[in-house]
Amino acid sequence: MFKNYFKTALRNLKHRKAYALINIIGLAIGIASCLLIYMVVKYELSYDKFQPDYARIYHVVKANKYAEGINYNPGTPYPAVDGLRQDFPETTVGSIYATYGSQIAIPDEKPNSAPKKFIEEEGLFFADPEFFKVFHFKWLIGNESILKEPNTIALSKTIAEKYYGDWKKAIGKMIRLNNAMDLKVSGILEDVPNNTNFPITLVGSFITIKNNGYYGYNADFGSNTSNYQAFMLIPENVPLTNINTRLEEFSKKNYRKSLTISKGHELQPLSELHFDTRISALGGSVTPYSVLTTLSFIAILIITMACINFINLSTAQAVTRSKEVGVRKVMGSNRLQLFWQMMGETKLLVIISVLLAIILAKIALPYLKHVVSIQEELTLFTLTNFLFLAGIMFLTTLLSGLYPSLILSGFKPVVALKNKVSSASIGGISLRRGLVVTQFAISQILIIGTIVALSQMNFIREADLGFNKEAVLMLSSNTDSAVLARNRAFKNHLLSIKGVQNVSFTSDVPSSDNTWDTNFSFDRKKDEDYNLSLKFGDEDYFKTFGLEFAAGTGYKKSDTITDVVVNETFVKKLNISDPEKVIGKQVRMGGGRWNTITGVVKDFKTKSLREEISPILIGSHKIKSDKIAVKLNSGNLSTTLKEIEKGWNAFYPEYAYSSFFVDESIENFYRQETQLSLMYRVFAIIAIAISCLGLYGLVSFMVAQKTKEVGIRKVLGASAINIVYLFSKEFTLLIGIAFLIAAPIAWYFMHDWLNNFAFHISIGAGVFIIAAVTSVSVAWLSVGYKAFKAAISNPVKSLRTE
Amino acid sequence: MIELKNIYKYVTVGGNKTFLLKDLNLTFNEGEFVSIMGPSGSGKSTLLNVIGMLDGFDEGEYFFLHESVHKMKEKQRSQLYKQYIGFVFQAYHLIDELTVYENIETPLLYQDYSAGERKAMVSDMLDRFNIVGKKDLFPEQLSGGQQQLVGIARALIAKPKLLLADEPTGNLNSKQGQEIMELFKKLNQEDGVTIIQVTHSEKNAEYGSRIINLLDGRIDK
Repeated sequence: MFKNYFKTALRNLKHRKAYALINIIGLAIGIASCLLIYMVVKYELSYDKFQPDYARIYHVVKANKYAEGINYNPGTPYPAVDGLRQDFPETTVGSIYATYGSQIAIPDEKPNSAPKKFIEEEGLFFADPEFFKVFHFKWLIGNESILKEPNTIALSKTIAEKYYGDWKKAIGKMIRLNNAMDLKVSGILEDVPNNTNFPITLVGSFITIKNNGYYGYNADFGSNTSNYQAFMLIPENVPLTNINTRLEEFSKKNYRKSLTISKGHELQPLSELHFDTRISALGGSVTPYSVLTTLSFIAILIITMACINFINLSTAQAVTRSKEVGVRKVMGSNRLQLFWQMMGETKLLVIISVLLAIILAKIALPYLKHVVSIQEELTLFTLTNFLFLAGIMFLTTLLSGLYPSLILSGFKPVVALKNKVSSASIGGISLRRGLVVTQFAISQILIIGTIVALSQMNFIREADLGFNKEAVLMLSSNTDSAVLARNRAFKNHLLSIKGVQNVSFTSDVPSSDNTWDTNFSFDRKKDEDYNLSLKFGDEDYFKTFGLEFAAGTGYKKSDTITDVVVNETFVKKLNISDPEKVIGKQVRMGGGRWNTITGVVKDFKTKSLREEISPILIGSHKIKSDKIAVKLNSGNLSTTLKEIEKGWNAFYPEYAYSSFFVDESIENFYRQETQLSLMYRVFAIIAIAISCLGLYGLVSFMVAQKTKEVGIRKVLGASAINIVYLFSKEFTLLIGIAFLIAAPIAWYFMHDWLNNFAFHISIGAGVFIIAAVTSVSVAWLSVGYKAFKAAISNPVKSLRTE
Repeated sequence: MIELKNIYKYVTVGGNKTFLLKDLNLTFNEGEFVSIMGPSGSGKSTLLNVIGMLDGFDEGEYFFLHESVHKMKEKQRSQLYKQYIGFVFQAYHLIDELTVYENIETPLLYQDYSAGERKAMVSDMLDRFNIVGKKDLFPEQLSGGQQQLVGIARALIAKPKLLLADEPTGNLNSKQGQEIMELFKKLNQEDGVTIIQVTHSEKNAEYGSRIINLLDGRIDK
């Protein structure tokens, strides 16, 4: 019996190739999309899950509560770690410091040859031994106790191989960090997995930088940097509420109280670390849950659309299958047997689709990293993926097979044999209309989402940031005294290169994620409630970045902060109407000296466009200006760049050359949004393709059904245009209804998304018009061919077949 | 074998009852070859469908081998006709996706025969109808007469007591039709199969041992 069914099914597929193909392609694309999305979501959720104490590890974050809300900082003040250890003796508190773009020099074995130099953009860490008691990473040589000693460092296997060729040879070697300290390689770590928030490749002992103060260690509770973070492992028998209560006491004890702000610590579970956008992770990227839910939602939509296609086409096809059903019933088959036969056929189609989907997924996999921020290539053939596929297979078979099988197996034999099965008796046109509306609503939501996301990204790219980001090259420099002594000469050299317009030593570009915040007081009043952001740059900073002044001027050349420049937001926040009024007034940062304001620059975007502009102060501070901004002329860029690098190597032979363009670093702010909009685009196209496949199939069926009607109409004098109109008007109407459903839903979601940006576009009518026009024209294209063919057919022929 | 008592079948259109079958009283004995005749719309096919239990009726009693069909549930009825009745159609109604062999085999799939038994039975039938050479062809590769031959072979495969034929020669030319009728006669006389056929043709009706004329759902005397 099974053989008979199987043969019938296969021959049926062959016979109705077009239908089968539409069904299989639609389902395969849907299943492949689902599978890829599942893999991505699973990967993102797997971050640090390999840690044995995953559920009991907490990130100690700094929380500053203002009247307007809470401001989170991932960092912890240096002394707080010792304080926590004292007050929470039953827990393990580990801490880690991260720094990026350090230079590592490996002395060559041969005497008198230059050392090998590496710039470690991916991060250099300093940790205490306790950190490795909280987090478990595999050591190949040594263990965390080497971090008790100052001036020791552990390398990952890959890094050790990069430096020394063989990781076993690395032990005992000395490496020179930033030409400032020598560290002894005392341990080798197995490479950490990619799905960790702690991509540790080099980790020195924290005591090293505590002792030498190179990175600004201070025993003050008042300041903290996001680079220094603490993690707490809570024993199983201690309830979290207990810790939280005591943490409040701890905060009260150590932080100064104020009327408007209350500072303290809170715990963030490790499971949130990879997903909480309020608190940036140390080295790993942050993926907000909203991205994962959006993705899962899209996956569900796409598979639903593919199933809808299936249902639509199979019920439409049911008429042609009715004879077989009738014959089989007369031969003695009962309804259940027929039901299982039809379900079996669906299953067969789904299995073929799944196989095709696996091939599609395999092809698409290498491109996945362009769409989502996953660096490693995921493996397709894993047990969980197969279980997922099996689940999808079962669900899809059920979803798409159930209804058509019920309808088909329910035919009355006499009716079925006389070919009197009408479209009404197979679930009615209204059901299929409903399904088509659903499909088009889904694809329109995705079209609208795509257009909005794309226009927002365009808006961001072309937004006036208030400074000139084009053709500004940033060099990573250093601030040890030997470098500082040569800076002036190097600047003059750079300016002598043809193609270089301006040069400025600075701590930061105008727009960046780096924040250096401090409390401050203006005009000898009490400290303000909010923080001031600091950026340092020499006297040419304003010229180099094309910043304009609203009042006053820049400052004169100086090695330390004396005169300073603020921005318009600073003035506004102080409730001063005229920027001229702050010129000559004084401002004090932290507990430092009073500095005179010489100018107010027009507002520029200090951070990404997601955030509001912060009040900012710019001053000249040589020791903190570890970058060089070089404004270039357009034209002959490559020669200029070569000249600059040559100059660098001549002036600072002990440091490796490393540079980036400002506009590229700004693009990086929006990597996640760019990926998201790309993702929308990809899936919107897939959704549209699937719905068109379905529509095409449905129209061919309708044409077949209406052959007689078309024949009669033509005999009665209808023109080809009339006939095409007959077929098209219904679909146009259905798309119209779908649009009415899709528009408000899409508006709601995209409005929400846009609110993530402090600066964003508004959704105009144009977006909706484009979406409507797109789906109508796509529908017309897929309907048109079939409708036209029906319209020009010979009525004698079509009437005779009846 | 079959007894119909006061059978009524009607449809209600706009409050008026239109009778398809009206007060039919008929008896068919085992081994008979009966032809049912009548103009279009006289209820011939309806009567045949009622006898074949493919269609129901509204009033009256129907006994098949002394069992009261009118009291049976759908499932019992289907058990009954599966076992005792074979159908032959004007339009052959072969399954296009199956070969001659598979088409003939199909009824056996729905009864409890093992694969071996099925093979033997189908081979027998192919032999008997001289269509062994065509067993792997699909219906569309056969002429109308040959298709009907397959249809009859399929109807007989499960050894029914009763063969119901709805205008079996309607789509055939006269020579093919004659051959089919000769076959029916042989089946009736040599194998003792009871046959009830619906036909338009006087000539074909003559093959039967009895002719029933229908007009507007009633027996026309």
